[in-house]
Amino acid sequence: MNYAVLWVPGFALHALRRSDPSLRGLAVALVAGDGRKARVTEVSPEAHGVAPGLAATLAMSRCRGIILRQRDPGAESEAHRLLVAAAFTLAPRVESTDSGCCTVDLRGADRPRTEALMRLRAAEFEALGLPLRIGAGATPFLASYAARLAEPVLIVDDTAGFLAPLPLAFASPTPEQEGILQGWGITTLGKLTALAKDDVGRRLGAGGALLWERAAGEATRVLRLVEPARSFAAEWVYEPPVESTEPLFFKLRRFAERIALELLGAGFVADRLSLTLLLEDGTDHRREFRLPEPGADVEGWIRVMGSHLESVRTDARVAGVRLVAAPARPPQRQEGLFDTGLRDPASFWENLARVAAVVGDDRVGTPAPVDTHRPDAFVMGRPAESVTPPAQVPVHPPHGPTLRRFRPPWPVSVACDAGAPVRLEGGRLDGRVRAALGPWRSSGDWWRPEAWAVETWQVELDAGGVYQLACEGGAWSVEGMLD
Amino acid sequence: MPAPVQTVSELRSLLAARFPERARRPVGGVPAAVRPLDEALGGGLPSGRLTELVSAVPSGGGQTVLAMLLGTTQASRQRIALVDGSDAFAPGAVPEDMLRHLVWVRCRAPEQAFAVADILVRDGNYAVVVLDLRGCAERVLRRVPATTWYRLRRAAEDSSAAILVQTQSPLVPAVASRLILDTPLSLSDAGASRESVAGRLAVRTDRSQAQVPEELAG
Repeated sequence: MNYAVLWVPGFALHALRRSDPSLRGLAVALVAGDGRKARVTEVSPEAHGVAPGLAATLAMSRCRGIILRQRDPGAESEAHRLLVAAAFTLAPRVESTDSGCCTVDLRGADRPRTEALMRLRAAEFEALGLPLRIGAGATPFLASYAARLAEPVLIVDDTAGFLAPLPLAFASPTPEQEGILQGWGITTLGKLTALAKDDVGRRLGAGGALLWERAAGEATRVLRLVEPARSFAAEWVYEPPVESTEPLFFKLRRFAERIALELLGAGFVADRLSLTLLLEDGTDHRREFRLPEPGADVEGWIRVMGSHLESVRTDARVAGVRLVAAPARPPQRQEGLFDTGLRDPASFWENLARVAAVVGDDRVGTPAPVDTHRPDAFVMGRPAESVTPPAQVPVHPPHGPTLRRFRPPWPVSVACDAGAPVRLEGGRLDGRVRAALGPWRSSGDWWRPEAWAVETWQVELDAGGVYQLACEGGAWSVEGMLD
Repeated sequence: MPAPVQTVSELRSLLAARFPERARRPVGGVPAAVRPLDEALGGGLPSGRLTELVSAVPSGGGQTVLAMLLGTTQASRQRIALVDGSDAFAPGAVPEDMLRHLVWVRCRAPEQAFAVADILVRDGNYAVVVLDLRGCAERVLRRVPATTWYRLRRAAEDSSAAILVQTQSPLVPAVASRLILDTPLSLSDAGASRESVAGRLAVRTDRSQAQVPEELAG
């Protein structure tokens, strides 16, 4: 489960119905084009007998009372921002793939938690009037195939078994490729991938090989990441202006739902809300609400604003509304006996898992020295949940510049005079030694086969730079730089 | 319709009013206990901002700055993340007690370092995130698109963490503060206490926060 795709089928129509309460429960169709050329593009389930592609005039004759509307870019933009905000609550690497579609990079995410979050978001969106489908799989393509079949969440673990019965159209063949493959009797992805990829490539060219990869779920692509929301605001202009609070509440609730998700995805809560009513006469009415407790509770926000709006009387009709939430970090709690000392423990551990997915489990953590004098011996441990206060002043405080290691050490030839290095040659460092300190000799594990003994020097080169040299078994190396 | 602006200062005021987040000053900071560096930054690494520290010469003192930062963050019981682009941190070079609040990420390539930094900067649990790119191939770093840096910068602005980027040559576009360590330490410093070595570091200011709003404005 590396990627997830969040997809709302019939997005334009659902976005329109979400923004206009008068369309609820009615037969509605979206049309494109004007006059006789107007065609239905999306249709609500209430419009019986009407299907996409039908002429608008025919749709009206087949379904009495059907409401024909053009797409509403404002409503779609608002709904898409809600979708992007939901994607950011799953993981921070999000692509706004298309209108009504987002792809999320889930690598490193905790699977049970992410799966629970997906189901929660899908249920929330259903309640908001947007039927969200979420598919997850090993590649972005696979996740998008899964999203198209999800009810409402589908996670693909058995890639081959999932892909085999799917129609060829899922892999987006060109009409020419589709014609050729149908001529061969190939109608499903499974039948296509049963052929050797090289053979398909030879017959259909490079495009055929790519089609095979998509059909096998192997094709991947780089996501074009988007930034999480930075300003948590929404604005709407009413045409015509409104005189009652009902349309205000409707729009404010929609705004609050989106802004709360955006705050959640960015790791914030709202501290204050600022509400502005733009009046028809050019003036405005502003009110700032300091929330009793910082949070992202939509119902709480509506209650706070509602009690104020019920008592507001304006001199002119309301032509627009603007809502701005001031972000704040979730309130820090006082550390108690059982507190972790982390501001956001869930995010901390989940992000560490994501980091481990990038660099490897053994390459992230808190280093701790092991009980040996062997140079550069340490283990990576689990980070502590609380930061302990400093111990007493150390008996042997650190001295001099700090070592910065070269891993692996750089092999070097060292010319010595009276046992001390005087020149480095033949490696990545070359030059005369201006001053040298040493040797420090250490050894250990002499009772084991992996016994070791090393002689360490610190040298300053004429060209500048202080380095640490090690001689082990007669072979010299540069261990690092004192920096 | 508002009257057109006549002077640069009017334009700056207009931009500050229109884009308040651009003019937002950093809130607080994390002192590194390295006097020349803290003085150059006005008290410490600014929270919510990127600071670039360029080690222009070998043994310029960049690792000593990191070691001192480990000490100050631990003293204030804050958490620090080190995204180590070339896996060069030596745990044995600092007291064991100073490692307990450190999350060290040992990257194999600069691409990993950027991906990890992108995650950790947004985390909210760290006071400081150090992105150490010294030792990474210069030609790879030069190919990093500017959008990657802007993404990191914007993530930093939304976070409460101070971001220190350690490089070998100036790299970060439009960074708030760029400091350069251009005088190498010598072997005679080996006997001195680390605090005294840190206090003697030669830090040159290449770019300060005050310059950035001017760049954005014009």
